This record gives sequence, C-alpha cells and structure tokens, in this order.
Amino acid sequence: MKQPEYQRRPDAVPKVTGSLKYLTDRFEENMLIGKVLRSEYPHARIKRIDTSAAEALPGVHAVLTHHDVPGLNRFGIVMPDQPVFCEDRVRYTGDAVAAVAAESAESADQALAAVVVEYEPLPVLDSVEKALTPEAEQLHENGNILHEASYTRGDLQQGFAGCTCIVEETYQLPRQMHGYMETEGGVVVPESDGGISVYMATQHGFKDRFQLSRILETPEEKIRIISSPIGGSFGGKDELNLQPYGALLALKTGRPVRVHNTREESIRAGLKRHPMAITMRTGADESGRVLAHETTIYADTGAYATLGPAILEFAVEHASGLYPIPNITTTGVSVFTNNGVAGEFRGFGGNQVTFALEGQMDRLAEKLGMEGTKLRARNMRKPSDTGPLGQGIAPTDGGRMILEDVTTWQQLPLSNAGETAWVKNGRGGAVSMHGGGLGYGRLDPSGGRLALTKEGKLEAAFGFEECGQGIVAVIETVMKGTFSCNEEDIEITIGDTNKVPVSGSTTASRGTSMVWTAVENMKASFRRQLLIEASRVTGTAAADLYLGAGGVHKRGAEPSLFLSYKALAEYVQDGDIETHTSFDFPVTPDEIDSGHYLYSFGGVSAEVEVNLLTGTVRVLDLKQSVSAGPVMYPQGYRGQIEGGGIMALGYTLMEDAVMQEGRYQTENFDTYLMPGVKDLPDNVTVKPREEVMEGDIHGPRGVGEIGTIAVAPAIAEAIYQAIGARPEKLPVSREWVLQQIQQRGLLPWNKPEKIPGG
Amino acid sequence: MEQTRKDSRRIEHRQGKYACTFRVNGKEVSVDASPMDRVVDLLRDGLHETGTKISCGIGRCGACSIWVDGRLTSSCLLLAYQVEGKEVTTIEGMGTEERCSIVQEAFMNEGGFQCGYCTPGMIMAAESLLRHTPDPDDEEIREGLSGNICRCTGYSGIIRAVKAAAANLQ
Repeated sequence: MKQPEYQRRPDAVPKVTGSLKYLTDRFEENMLIGKVLRSEYPHARIKRIDTSAAEALPGVHAVLTHHDVPGLNRFGIVMPDQPVFCEDRVRYTGDAVAAVAAESAESADQALAAVVVEYEPLPVLDSVEKALTPEAEQLHENGNILHEASYTRGDLQQGFAGCTCIVEETYQLPRQMHGYMETEGGVVVPESDGGISVYMATQHGFKDRFQLSRILETPEEKIRIISSPIGGSFGGKDELNLQPYGALLALKTGRPVRVHNTREESIRAGLKRHPMAITMRTGADESGRVLAHETTIYADTGAYATLGPAILEFAVEHASGLYPIPNITTTGVSVFTNNGVAGEFRGFGGNQVTFALEGQMDRLAEKLGMEGTKLRARNMRKPSDTGPLGQGIAPTDGGRMILEDVTTWQQLPLSNAGETAWVKNGRGGAVSMHGGGLGYGRLDPSGGRLALTKEGKLEAAFGFEECGQGIVAVIETVMKGTFSCNEEDIEITIGDTNKVPVSGSTTASRGTSMVWTAVENMKASFRRQLLIEASRVTGTAAADLYLGAGGVHKRGAEPSLFLSYKALAEYVQDGDIETHTSFDFPVTPDEIDSGHYLYSFGGVSAEVEVNLLTGTVRVLDLKQSVSAGPVMYPQGYRGQIEGGGIMALGYTLMEDAVMQEGRYQTENFDTYLMPGVKDLPDNVTVKPREEVMEGDIHGPRGVGEIGTIAVAPAIAEAIYQAIGARPEKLPVSREWVLQQIQQRGLLPWNKPEKIPGG
Repeated sequence: MEQTRKDSRRIEHRQGKYACTFRVNGKEVSVDASPMDRVVDLLRDGLHETGTKISCGIGRCGACSIWVDGRLTSSCLLLAYQVEGKEVTTIEGMGTEERCSIVQEAFMNEGGFQCGYCTPGMIMAAESLLRHTPDPDDEEIREGLSGNICRCTGYSGIIRAVKAAAANLQ
C-alpha cells in the first residue's frame, strides 16, 4: 500500500467515518426545536406584532419578540447595531422579528406562520447610489454612511504630472457567499445554576460569550460557549447568528433548544462578501515606475455594521499592495443599504482591492508595452520598505520571491493542444500582499496553556476554533516538533470557553502564527517543570533527562524511555505542571491605525481556455506561490491554498448572490453556483516559499486567506490574453465573454463591430 | 395506522405516523414516520445516525448521500415510503473508527477533507464510483463526484484520494 505523503490530522478518523459530532448533530433529551421569523420586507415599519395565535398552538412552548430580551436588544462585534428582534423597523429580509420553540420542526413552522406582523413598506435602498442620495431615508441614527476611511501620501497631482501613461478603470466586485457546507445552528442547554451552555459554531467563543452576556443580562461566567468542530466558516460564522435565539428560547422554556438554519434561512440572514465598486487611476513614467495611484472605494455593507468598518480599512490599506508608490490617495466609503449584511469573509476586503490594483498593473503594462511581470518587478517593494500605509513592518522579501515564481510560470508554453478555431487559451499572472492579525489600535490578544493532565497527557489548550482549516493539526505538529513527543502523548483542548485560555479570534490568518508563538513562549518553562518533577520523583539529575516520545527519557539508557508521562502524572496533582502565556499579536511600532505588521504574499499564474462558441471560461492550470514563513503542517498548508484558489475561481467566474430590490434572487445552491469538481483545473500547484529574512523571529504566518487574493486578477489577465478583452466586473459572465467575442469578430463568421470607446 | 400516542421521549405523535421499517447498514430498524418524512431526517433525528449530513436540502450538494439497495442517492430527496423494506447504507456502514475502508484511509492520507462536513457524502460517492468503476480515469472520477460539493479542499485532495484508493484497491 502506498505510504501516506503526510501525517494525518488528529480529527481524520472521526471525520472520514462520520462519527464526529458537529454541534448541529447534537441531540439532547427533552429538546425543543427553535425557529426564527425573518422580515417579509427589505425595509418597512412594523405596525403591529401579534403572537397570541402562535402561542395558542399545541406543542408551542415559547414565542419571543423584542419584549422578551432582558438585556441589550442588539448585537455586532464592533458596534452593536443589529436588533436581536426588530422593534419598529426592519432593514433587510434577514431581520428577525420573532422566534418560537416547539415540540417539532413542524409545530415550529406552524407557529411562525401564525405570528401576525403588520408592516408598512418603506422605500428600498437597494444600492449604494440610492442610499447616498440626499433624500434617502436614514437607515441608522448617524445616517447611511457606516464608515469612511482614507490614506494619502505625497502629492497626487504632482505625481500624475510626471506620468506619461495613465490608466483608469472602475471595477465591480460581486456579493460572494461563504457557502460553508454546515449551516448555522446547534443546541442551547439551560443549566441548573441559571446559566446556559451554547453548543454553536463561532470563530471566537469568548466574543460570543461577551455579546450574549450583554443580550441576556447574564454574567459571562454563567455562559459557556462550546464552538468546535465547525463544518466550514470562512469568516461567515464570526458574527453572532442563531445564538441569541437559541439562548433566549432555552432560558424562557427551561429546556434545551435546537436551532439549525435551512440553507434558505442561512442565505437570507447570513453574511456575504462586500460588493464593491472600486475606481482606480494609476500613472507611470515611461520607464514603468508607478508614480501616482488614486483609489475610490464604495462598499455595500448592507443593513448592519458587523466588521464593515475594519474591512473597509483593510481595503484602503491594501489598495497599493506590494508597490511603494510615492503619491497615493485612497478613499473608501462603506454604505448602509437594505441589502443583505456584508461582513467578514476570507480575504477581508483584500480580494476586491487586489483585483482592481492588479488589473491596473496589467492595463499599465500593456499601454507601456511591457511584460506585466516586468512592470511589477520594477515597482516591487524592497525588504526594508514600509507597509502600504507607511508603517514599519517586519522586513520581508516575500513579494520578490513570489513574483519570481510567477515570472517563471508566465514563460511556460500554453497547453494549447485543445486550441482550435473556436477555443483560445491565455495565461495571466498576478501578485498580492496580505496583512495578518487585526491591525494597529485593535485589541488583538493571544495566548495558550500547556499542562500535564492527570491522565498523563501533554495538554495544549488554545481558544481557537477548528473550522476545517486544521488548527488541531498545527497544534499537534508544533507540539511534536517542540517536545519530540508522539501524537498519543498530546491532548488538544479547544473550542470551549470553560476550558480554554484567551487566544483571540480564529480569524485574520492568525491561528497558526499564534500557536507557534505561544508554544515558543512556553516551551522552556514547561520542559523545565516536567524534568524537575521527573528528577524529583526518580532521584535522577534533571540534566540527564530529556522529553521524548511516551515520556521522560534518560541519556545513555537503553531503552531511553525512563518515566512515562502517565507514571509522572501519578505523582502530581492536576495543575501542578502547567504554564501559561499571554501576549498580543505583533503590531507596527508606528501609530498608524489598522496598519498591519506581518504580511504574507501570494503569486498566481493561471491558464484559461475560452470557448468562443459558448463563452465558457475554463481554468486549465492554477499555480500559486506563497510566502508566509515556514510551513507547519504541509497537508493543511497545501489544502488552504488549493481550496482558497478554487473558492477564488468561483468568485471570478460564477459566484454572485444577486439581489433585486433588497431581496436575494438566490435561495439555495441551485441558483448560487459554487465550483464543483468539474470546474477544477487539470493542474493545481502550490509552491511554498518558506525563506524569511535573517533574524526574523515571527515564525509561520497563517495561510488561511492568502490563497484567495490574487487568483481573480490572474484569471482576468488570462482571459485578456485569450480573447483580447479585459474583464472589470466579476464574476466574468458568459454573456460578457460572448459579447466581447462578437465585438472583436473572433469567430470567422463574425465581422468586427466597432468597439465602443475602443 | 391512525393513532395519537406518546413515545419514550414523551413526544406526542400526530395521527398518520406509522412504523417505517427498513434496513440500515444491515440492521433492521423501525422509525415512526409519516410517509412524506425525508429519509435524511429519519436517519438524523429518528435514529441519531448523524454521519449523514444535511446542507442544501434540494439534492444539489450531496452532503446527505446514502445508498439505497446499493445505489447512490440524496437522502434529502427521498421520502420514508421510498425506503420501506429497502437496504440503506450510510457512512456508518463504510468503516469504523477501528477499521476504516481503503477509501477512508486514502481521504486521510491525501488531504481529502478539511471541515469534514461534505466528507461522509463524498466518501459514499467515491465508494460507489470505485465499486462500479474500479479503475476510473480522470473524467470518470470527476463524473462520479460531480454531485457532491466541497467548499474547503478545492477538490484536489479528494481527487488524489480517489486515485490513491483506486490504486490500493487493485
């Protein structure tokens, strides 16, 4: 039998056998089924809510509205502006108006149908333009602008004055859906002390606990959040979703309540990636030095804030990417509308702005008559350059390394075996730079705990969540590498606020980096404690002992295993051998709000095949070069980049949760297409560039996001190389491709039409 | 069978429920069901066999894939009366924690899963493919898995796993 290429993840067996209990698989004795009534209108006043008929139905145990929220009737990670239950106004069709708990899903559905809500529809602000008109109704107290962010350096006018070549374009980015396979849900169990246990997925257990405490008016100590394992999240389960309803219903009925969104409910209420319109004007001198870069970003943030402000700031920061352009002005506006809530999603605003930036580089290169990779090399940052906001960052040569790979790949011959009169191939490349951690000025604590359990396991405890990314494999790998122990020696504790230390959120590509740093911080103390105890117990000098597989080993002894961890544990009390660390994610020393310090880099080369008859674009080859420090768990690293790449392929070619008049036109996976196995390129390559600068102390950077950033611009350029038309709007539709083909007369029986503006 | 009664969980059963009898992984089971209950709900809520997942509920994603009399199918589109007297095979019947199947071994070795939520259905599809097509070419692998969506892996690891399993099954 073929030997496995990689070490298996610790959660492998339960996942492939189906024995793993996800939180939505939980069943509690005496459990009720909870359901949430969402708004019928994208924007309306609530005139009346009558729950009496619903309450009178047999099998119905609770019907809740805003009257039943003991604490703050709002949630939102940064600013709590989203009603748990709407009082007098709904702002999107995902807004909750009531919730019920009943004996069965069927009774719960009947109860929802029996809740009478009288609405007075209001004008629907279904676009940024409409929301920004002076006469538009104000969606929130402070108006329809959630947030504005800007960055400027140098003198734009002067910069453009020195340019011989200027390109300008407006890029339109779609509303991508996370599409995690497990929809939101789980069970909330009321406990005998008046508290609750919440078994529901989130990317930050302590943050859920904090928010729920505020809503329930219950001390945080009485709320326990059990939040892993998770059937996919990608940012989408970072904000509260069903937790408040499950919790309120469980407290009201005194019984466990299961809530679990159907896919339709999940799409209607859940977060999406921010649709953005990004206008960029970029100029270079004749040698190809980019001198001026002006960016305007409009983001449709939907009805509520969640992390909208931070996402906008991230987009503003990354608008100039890896190019230290001397004259920059970037402005961004995030606008409230009656559309679905946009929020945190893998890439965090970087995907949108990188599509635009790299699109500009390709347009400039063409105008200058240069290779795209040459123009990028000419403008590439140096290891000691500051970050995009002028902030000091950890020195890195990642940009140059990944561009080097992309440049090599761009020279590869097209796999044009299939090329015919009606099939055209093309290859494109793009690069990206992505900040890790939350950024300057934001609370970004981390930490961990190592302990010898009374069962004799080396316990590694972290407040991170397992969403599929493989944080458990990273923890295991780092532990094995640090203490030379076996998998069986390790016990991993995550995803339970009663058991884990504060590690911060499982977001922003920070988990791997923080696990590594925490173990680095703790290893000496933990090792010393174990060896001193072993020495005390055995009367052997600690200097003759070392940690290894199965327990404490003795130098020169044969066999070297001297005292098993299990035997050692019998001599100590729980907690005797334990070490903690807490620290902050490294930030820039410069006081520049939201500026990042640790960056990863991703370079992409894509080859496409465009069918001139059908307008179909198929990606044949997708190569990614990634600079994110040393690889911790190779299978996980590869999987993040491969999976991120295909998610981004979907973003480029097919995914858009279309809304019309504030209503989703997609309800499920039949009208929202995500890549299937047949969309997979024939070849997918991941090339880690592990080298870091001499003296770098930061270890691995996470790779959760970087594989999704530069894919879209690379595919867009490949399409241009194939058919001579540049997409500025994603997803690239077949209709658009066919129109371009028609206009350019690419088929022998079509005469070229005049290209507007061309 | 028209009656109202309470079961051991003291849940009252509506009129029109009946004892739906079929075999799951070789064992005969009897679940209170209305003929129009979805098989995925019988498995998950009735029998607590939660290896079979529910994701889209419209037969598009394959997370709920099971076999009925050996044939791959979406259990969210299948109603109770359709499995009456039939042999249902779920992920729980493929391998155990102690003894995984060759396909399951391959998924673990080759990075064929991440969050794992699509995995039971994906493995049911892969096992079905390899039973009917022991030595599949690339196109046959893609065809065999085309009813299953995975949002995490981007499929590369899954294809590696199916190829490795096919080789190991030879």
